[in-house]
Amino acid sequence: MSIRLNPDLLPELLASMQQSEQNETTATQQLSSGRTVNSPSDDPAATAAIVLNHDQSSQDAQFLQNISTLQGRFQVADSTLSNVVQVLTQAVSLGTEGATSTVSASDRQALATEVQGILTQTVALANTTYQGAYLFGGTDVNTQPFTLDDTTGAVTYNGNPNTASVELSNGNSITTNVPGDQLFQNGSGSVFGALQDLYNSLNSGNNIPTAVNEVSSALTQLGVQRVTYGNALNQINLSESFLNQDTLNLSEQENMLEGADLSTVATNFSQAQLASQATLSATSEVLSQKTLLDYLV
Amino acid sequence: MGSLTASLNIATQSMLAEEGAIETTTNNIANANTPGYARQVPNLEEAGTIQVGQLTFGTGVDLASVSSMRDAVLDLRVNQETQQQGQLSAFIGAGQQIQALFNETSGTGLQSSITAFFNSLSELSTDPSDLTTREGVLTAAQNLTEAFNQTSNNLTTLQRNTDLAVQQSVTQINSLTSQIAQVNEQVVAATKSGENAGSFEDQRQQLINQLSNYIGVSEIDAGNGGLTLTTTNGAALVVAGQSFALSTQANPTTGFQDVYANGADITSQISGGELAGQIQIRDQEIPSLQNSLDTLAYNMTTAVNNQNEAGYDLNGTAGGAFFTPLTQVQGAADSMGVAITDPTLIAASGTPGPYNTSGNPDATGDNTNANALLALQNDNIVDGQTPLSYYSDIVFKIGNDVSSAQTNEQAGSQVLLQLQNLQGGVSSVDINEEAANLVRFQTAYQASAQVATVINNLLETAINMVVPST
Repeated sequence: MSIRLNPDLLPELLASMQQSEQNETTATQQLSSGRTVNSPSDDPAATAAIVLNHDQSSQDAQFLQNISTLQGRFQVADSTLSNVVQVLTQAVSLGTEGATSTVSASDRQALATEVQGILTQTVALANTTYQGAYLFGGTDVNTQPFTLDDTTGAVTYNGNPNTASVELSNGNSITTNVPGDQLFQNGSGSVFGALQDLYNSLNSGNNIPTAVNEVSSALTQLGVQRVTYGNALNQINLSESFLNQDTLNLSEQENMLEGADLSTVATNFSQAQLASQATLSATSEVLSQKTLLDYLV
Repeated sequence: MGSLTASLNIATQSMLAEEGAIETTTNNIANANTPGYARQVPNLEEAGTIQVGQLTFGTGVDLASVSSMRDAVLDLRVNQETQQQGQLSAFIGAGQQIQALFNETSGTGLQSSITAFFNSLSELSTDPSDLTTREGVLTAAQNLTEAFNQTSNNLTTLQRNTDLAVQQSVTQINSLTSQIAQVNEQVVAATKSGENAGSFEDQRQQLINQLSNYIGVSEIDAGNGGLTLTTTNGAALVVAGQSFALSTQANPTTGFQDVYANGADITSQISGGELAGQIQIRDQEIPSLQNSLDTLAYNMTTAVNNQNEAGYDLNGTAGGAFFTPLTQVQGAADSMGVAITDPTLIAASGTPGPYNTSGNPDATGDNTNANALLALQNDNIVDGQTPLSYYSDIVFKIGNDVSSAQTNEQAGSQVLLQLQNLQGGVSSVDINEEAANLVRFQTAYQASAQVATVINNLLETAINMVVPST
């Protein structure tokens, strides 16, 4: 005698109905969210990786924001220094003009006054602020870096000789400032000292060519220091494209970790639907099946 | 030598036996959908013989007994599997609520708050003298501590809810064991008096199965059809007609209800059933997650405070505690808070002051310490891991615990379905089978009735043989 089978098919049918409904729900959820991982238990390892992925991409977004802050600051610093170069070049030509023997003493006085104006202008440029912070005071951003003594023409540096650095991407930092004394009062060529000397020489008519040379070498020195900002702009541009690429990579990785392949999910969905319909039809067959009693009259 | 009256008796008795069989069949059909009902089979037996001289005659048929068709081993296996499933489904139910607190796939976990805090420090490093940026750090820190507080509180709330569920399970268990004790008594009584104990056994199996959903039990055959039920660690639940109620008592340390059996604390020894799953969530899963959160909160607080104290604030004064200092790991996530409200007190600088005094250069744009604070993000400050990788391990743990429980539950539900199918093969009523039996018994009844008629005729013939003398 064969083994007696369970005459009650309903529990099994109900179980498979539940299963296919569950599959349908899962597929619907994946279709609507576009993700295969909708809670940590769906894929614990992927969820843990997503934590780090989201962290990194959010850090990258912050780095990009830092970069745009720095970009503005560097551009202002660079164009300020470019203005300084212009006025210094003008001072050199004024000095050269004053050095020629044909110039009268009164004309030299006029030239001297012009150089004095240039000095004042340069000090003002050296005191440029960006968003309320002085650009050339070292890490002292609240104190006006340079003060000009109107009577002696002497310029005092009130800032400090320090630099700051900011992270552009993980482990990659950039120096964000050149201290003002290094730019304008450098031992190898002080901008303010040279202008002061040129002013004095034009006034007195002595040693004008030496003073002009002094301004020229200060100009050269400023040019050398200025390169730092140019380089910094290049470096942040590089970092920017690195970060943009990294953001793309991260979102691709995120998609691989939790993204649903729409065609697969759609197929799963229709399979679940089909299975569910088949179960329903089988259930209705079973429920309405005739028994032997129907044939006994 | 036989006799006509003996034959008539046999026919009558046969009709009675078939009637009994028909009644059993009818009862089976009536109970085809009754949960826990085991189909009954009429046991027809040959009646005793009588010896007449050298001849032995049968005396017809007896309906000796009606027996319920059940397989004790299958019943036991179904109960055991039900205990497993009960435990797993209670664990999954609560586990899903827990993992919702850490659902990083939808970005609702702690990650965004932790990252945002470090991002605010990153922003601070670009402009340490800017008050708005400093305010931004305080806001991010505030959000971070609130996220920790909230997650910790939510975990505690879930733990309390589970504690309530433990008490409800104990109430259910006690109600079921007292019912089982009553039915157990009835089974023993029926068995002793030789009655059919089948329907009591049905009830008892049904109740034990319900009990199995709540707690793991061991069944011991006590003889005479009686059962002794104990918890899996041997604490008596039902002995003969007596049930032993479990009780709960608040644990003085945790404040949660411990489960006692006969005066002994069996909380940690309960296995199987929803009660075990609930205790697992309440006493292991949540405390372990809570401890991880506390460790994270404590170490972040300590590291950030130490670093802030190593730097100088916007006035050049040495930095103080940034977060409210914590003395112990336990409860850290719940009590984590920001100690400062003045944004100038964030120690972003590495140069000592005082600043803003004449003749003394400031270092308000010094971001050395802001960078050092930011670097904590990638430092192994939490049990040898960075804050985020430690956190991602927490997310992995809860996800993995729920996921393996789900896998086991799915496998177990297949096993249970198989067992229930086997059980159904033994015990379920098959309408077709009953219909066939019905026809068989009907035919036998009709035949016996016909035999009775024939014998009646024969008796008449015999009686008519006697001619009265006139």
